[in-house]
Amino acid sequence: MSILFTGRATGAAAKKIGLLRRFIMFWLNHARQAVASLGELWRTPSASILTIAVLGVSLTLPATLHLLVKNMQQISSSFTQAAEISLYIREQTPANQVQSLVTILQADRDVAEVIFVSKQQAMTEFQQISGFGAALNYLESNPLPDLIRVLPKNTAPQAAEALLQRLSSERIVDFAKLDIDWLTRLNAIVSMLQQAVAIIALLLLSAVLLIVGNTIRLSIMNKKDEIEVMKLVGATDAFIQRPFLYTGVWFGIFGGLLAFLVVELMLWWLQGAISNVTALYQSDFTLMAMSFREFIGLLLIAVLLGLAGSYLSVRRHISAIEPTGP
Amino acid sequence: MLQFDQVSKSYPGGFVALDRISFRLEKGEMAFLTGHSGAGKSTLLKLISLIERPSAGRVLINDIELSRIKRSQIPYVRRDVGIIFQNHRLLMNHTVFDNVALPLVIEGFTGKEMVKRVHAALDKVGLLDKVRCLPATLSGGEQQRVGIARAVVNKPPLLLADEPTGNLDPDLSKDTMRVFEAFNQVGVSVLVATHDLGLVARMKYRTLTLKHGRMINDGLLQYQEPV
Repeated sequence: MSILFTGRATGAAAKKIGLLRRFIMFWLNHARQAVASLGELWRTPSASILTIAVLGVSLTLPATLHLLVKNMQQISSSFTQAAEISLYIREQTPANQVQSLVTILQADRDVAEVIFVSKQQAMTEFQQISGFGAALNYLESNPLPDLIRVLPKNTAPQAAEALLQRLSSERIVDFAKLDIDWLTRLNAIVSMLQQAVAIIALLLLSAVLLIVGNTIRLSIMNKKDEIEVMKLVGATDAFIQRPFLYTGVWFGIFGGLLAFLVVELMLWWLQGAISNVTALYQSDFTLMAMSFREFIGLLLIAVLLGLAGSYLSVRRHISAIEPTGP
Repeated sequence: MLQFDQVSKSYPGGFVALDRISFRLEKGEMAFLTGHSGAGKSTLLKLISLIERPSAGRVLINDIELSRIKRSQIPYVRRDVGIIFQNHRLLMNHTVFDNVALPLVIEGFTGKEMVKRVHAALDKVGLLDKVRCLPATLSGGEQQRVGIARAVVNKPPLLLADEPTGNLDPDLSKDTMRVFEAFNQVGVSVLVATHDLGLVARMKYRTLTLKHGRMINDGLLQYQEPV
């Protein structure tokens, strides 16, 4: 394209090349420039490694926190019996009425499981685990009520609460109890952690943006003379920008990979300690590592941040460099 | 090809670098621009390459007024004007080939076509054997010729040179001017800014002389041998 001389065919347009070939050349050029940017990083290894290390550490923290929240959620979701409802049956209720309530509850759509504990069963159990043993034999009558334990299908606090309200209105139910407080507390803590993680992640990700932006700014300043020369021989800002944008993308890729490696290393390191703890709690908890999708997500975020950081930088600084004289 | 119409350029602070300059350079014409340092030669070249904009008057290339060129179009204008710099302005950490290929890469040339053109340009300035060298390993005159090859590699219709012989000995200066003449003979308009009056007079080309921002001579320069 020549503005001054109509008919002066310049550049690649001078040669008649097909659309497909031009399309291929376009991607080929981009690939070549991407490799050239990689080579540029390779030529200044110490500076590149430092930047990548900083990016890696900055990305490691949000990734770790994300895994922490994920595992917390796994723990909290394993406590389904937390939302177990205990229905205490009125004294002197005939057994057949209790049985029919059990049958009704078993058919209930909101109920996952019904366990009937008769007062005799309860007494036996109590004698076994309380340690009072024979002392309880001195009681004149069994003071324990019949008990129906109901496991709601939906274990979310609100849903369990609603079921509790409904069941406590049953005629033969003396009162219904739901140990829900600590569940709501756990949920609140998990959601608080999630928000804290979101904020910290946001801060660290903006740090990544700024680090990439600043690194690219420095490398633009280092190449000020080169950029002036390129402008003098007719390079557009877009052309000059491209290698720097690719540098940002490479920073993102390497930073993301480093973060992934560090997280994996940390998980591997912690695995032993965590299994010790979970063994003490007799839980079958296993530490969840990063899934493939999460790994891709981490890389994608890193690359986007690298690109955005370098874009912000080149937009400001490359147009500011103007050649001052022949 | 190139036309200045009552062009003035003054800088903040009141310094007038160019004062109502008018001249015309025809297609395929070669001319020298002379004057002492500070006479306005560099400013005039900067107006053509759009590094500076005039304070008043019009600069036209091929009857297109440069003041109408938007900032985003400047790179495309510069591709039509080959510029040779006094201090060469080469990319010192790239090979001679990369330096000369730069304008072609910018325009999207690739592969064999690019190599062909770079070799042709280097051949014209006699540096084909230095294609893989770094500029730092070349002499001043060779570096200057690499700059010339870069300026002509995409065959611009207009060629500007700012003190191309500034750092060269007389023989090399003469060779450099011969290269410009060769380009001129294939139809390129050439404007060479220099203060080497002896060389200018021997070359017998039209000469524009600036003094304190004014054009004081337009035509052949009369040369007096130093007594």
